[in-house]
Amino acid sequence: MPDSGFLMPDSKESMTGKRILFIVFSFIVFSISSVSARAGEYDFDPAETEKKPYSLGGYLEFRPVLNGLDRGAAFNKLKFYKRDESNPLPEYNFGLQLEGSYEKGISKLFARFNTNLVNSYLGWSDSSSLYEGYLSLKPSSSLDIYTGKKTLKWGKGYAWNPVAFFDRPKNPDDPELNLEGFVVVGADYIRSFEGPLKTFSVTPVILPAYQDINDDFGTKDRINFGGKIYLLYYDTDIDFLFLSGGSKSPRYGLDFSRNLGTNLEIHGELAWIQGNKKTVVDSSGSSRVMEEDVGVFLLGLRYLSERETTVIAEYYHNGGGYTKQEMKDYYSLIDSGYTQYLQTGNDALLQRASNLTAYAKPSLMRDYLYLRISQKEPFNILYFTPALTGIVNLQDKSFSISPEVVYTGFTNWELRLKGTYLSGDRWSEYGEKPYDYRIELRVRYYF
Amino acid sequence: MWKIIMSMAVGLFLSTSALALDGNQLLVQIDRNLNPESFESYRKIVNTEPDGRKKEYTYYTVKKGKDKIAGLFLAPASEKGRTTLRLGENMWLYIPNVGKPVRITSLQSVVGGVFNNSDILALDYAEEYTVEKAEEAGNEYLLHLKAKTKAVAYDKLNMWVDKSKKIPTKIECMTEASMLIKTIYFKDIKDFGGGLIRPAVIETDSPLYKGYKSVMIFAKIKKRDFKDEIFTLTFMPKMESIR
Repeated sequence: MPDSGFLMPDSKESMTGKRILFIVFSFIVFSISSVSARAGEYDFDPAETEKKPYSLGGYLEFRPVLNGLDRGAAFNKLKFYKRDESNPLPEYNFGLQLEGSYEKGISKLFARFNTNLVNSYLGWSDSSSLYEGYLSLKPSSSLDIYTGKKTLKWGKGYAWNPVAFFDRPKNPDDPELNLEGFVVVGADYIRSFEGPLKTFSVTPVILPAYQDINDDFGTKDRINFGGKIYLLYYDTDIDFLFLSGGSKSPRYGLDFSRNLGTNLEIHGELAWIQGNKKTVVDSSGSSRVMEEDVGVFLLGLRYLSERETTVIAEYYHNGGGYTKQEMKDYYSLIDSGYTQYLQTGNDALLQRASNLTAYAKPSLMRDYLYLRISQKEPFNILYFTPALTGIVNLQDKSFSISPEVVYTGFTNWELRLKGTYLSGDRWSEYGEKPYDYRIELRVRYYF
Repeated sequence: MWKIIMSMAVGLFLSTSALALDGNQLLVQIDRNLNPESFESYRKIVNTEPDGRKKEYTYYTVKKGKDKIAGLFLAPASEKGRTTLRLGENMWLYIPNVGKPVRITSLQSVVGGVFNNSDILALDYAEEYTVEKAEEAGNEYLLHLKAKTKAVAYDKLNMWVDKSKKIPTKIECMTEASMLIKTIYFKDIKDFGGGLIRPAVIETDSPLYKGYKSVMIFAKIKKRDFKDEIFTLTFMPKMESIR
């Protein structure tokens, strides 16, 4: 569910966003025409490989979406109770990601900037943020010290990462999307060896959480410490990880990944969270915070068949997730609030439900299965990849299923058409989402 | 009479053994004629579709010793910053957007087209194959290679080698059941400096991809030594710094 705070009505900022996107779009159209003129040559000029101290790149994205509303679903009532929108409901997203770097001697500056412009039933809105921006010092190939905003991306899982202690949670519907990082001070120290232990590396991390820095990481006015030790031992990637400091409950983790053959990889993650806090609400709207030690784990595999079909399967257990009853209580609160609103015009209960953001996160319950099957270049159509992705909530048996096709045959272009169908009983996670289906086209141009 | 037959049999056995040994020595020599043991190189990989449409990738590669090789995509923009790493039979791909290395397999292809990961991140032939049979074929040797382990992408290779230059001219890659997967052609002998004279173009086609062709064009190959730490997962996002 989108965060309503993310959206803003037409403003000077959104006009600026539109202008920036227009200028970049014009630049890209010009670039494409000049690239086309050069295409089709086999020559390889060594000058093409010369290194420059700076780099600039990114992508421009257009993503129209059609949402098929489920009028009876709890989240539909919560989102649209004051509105009567058309069904299906269109939405147009424009995105720009810019990234640049500058390197001199042992130092490197890197920045990744993301801006989005949305035209939805709420009108035009925009948002911009610095996803990453850090300075890195590398006195040797064994040591890298960095400070600034960075995504660390810990873990081996594809759809979920229980051990990504310093990252924002992934959306399993689109796990490869870039995420905004946190401001950290960290280092990587690497050693290589001969023998069964081939690589050892250690990554200490410090993350301050204050009013003006990392204020959404957790409890403020804390300095958090964490780290990761990585081993390549007997051809197996192994990480030991931890986070402490007070902004979040202390947590410890382990992950691994290993190839069992030329076409089969297995991976897993395990996190132990001490004193995990969970806000639960009853159907009258009274909430309380529960605290308990929980285990979160993931087991997965990646398999490539002789016909180049790739299968990614993952099982995810979140010991701190909501139970069926807890979710039913929350949906009952929305239903009560909606009835109250219809009868009296008072939306206090609905506002209360809306403010409980923990209930709007993806994969908020306990047991999930993820399955993605993709076929590389069927019928010898190069750069064409159809895929089918399913996410099943094993507790309430609700699920989402997403067929998609991706084409990358035009240099620097990526076209993706994706549909998602959600299904589930009343009081189930996917049954109570605001949409029944969603069709999305994503056109990206990289430059 | 019996002694004569025995002598001939022993002589035949010894000559066969000597030929097999020569084949393996020749393979080591072929590896060194293609690349120094540790080097850096720049190449372009071009995939051509039956309608003539092309897609090009520029790829920087570093190799150390027998089983360490890593690569960085410099172009096109959609692939820029992707890095690959191979340590023996372990392979990983790092995509900047995904932000962390994921294990890949030798039969997959990070660039699409006819070349797969084991072609792009190729180790020395002598590291992965033994010569089962070596024979003369006019101006060339024909080596019959067998994979040392099941983890190698192609179970058998037929390698035609230029007798005077001791570099391959053609390789047929086959499955265990002798089904042809692809044919690789070595062309355009070029002096890369430092005594390295080798083919600058490697072409491949495959009966599995009728009408498609993939080509590697080498622009620079230079002997260079690297620290072991460069060939690690932790270093993958930092590959650009060693160019």
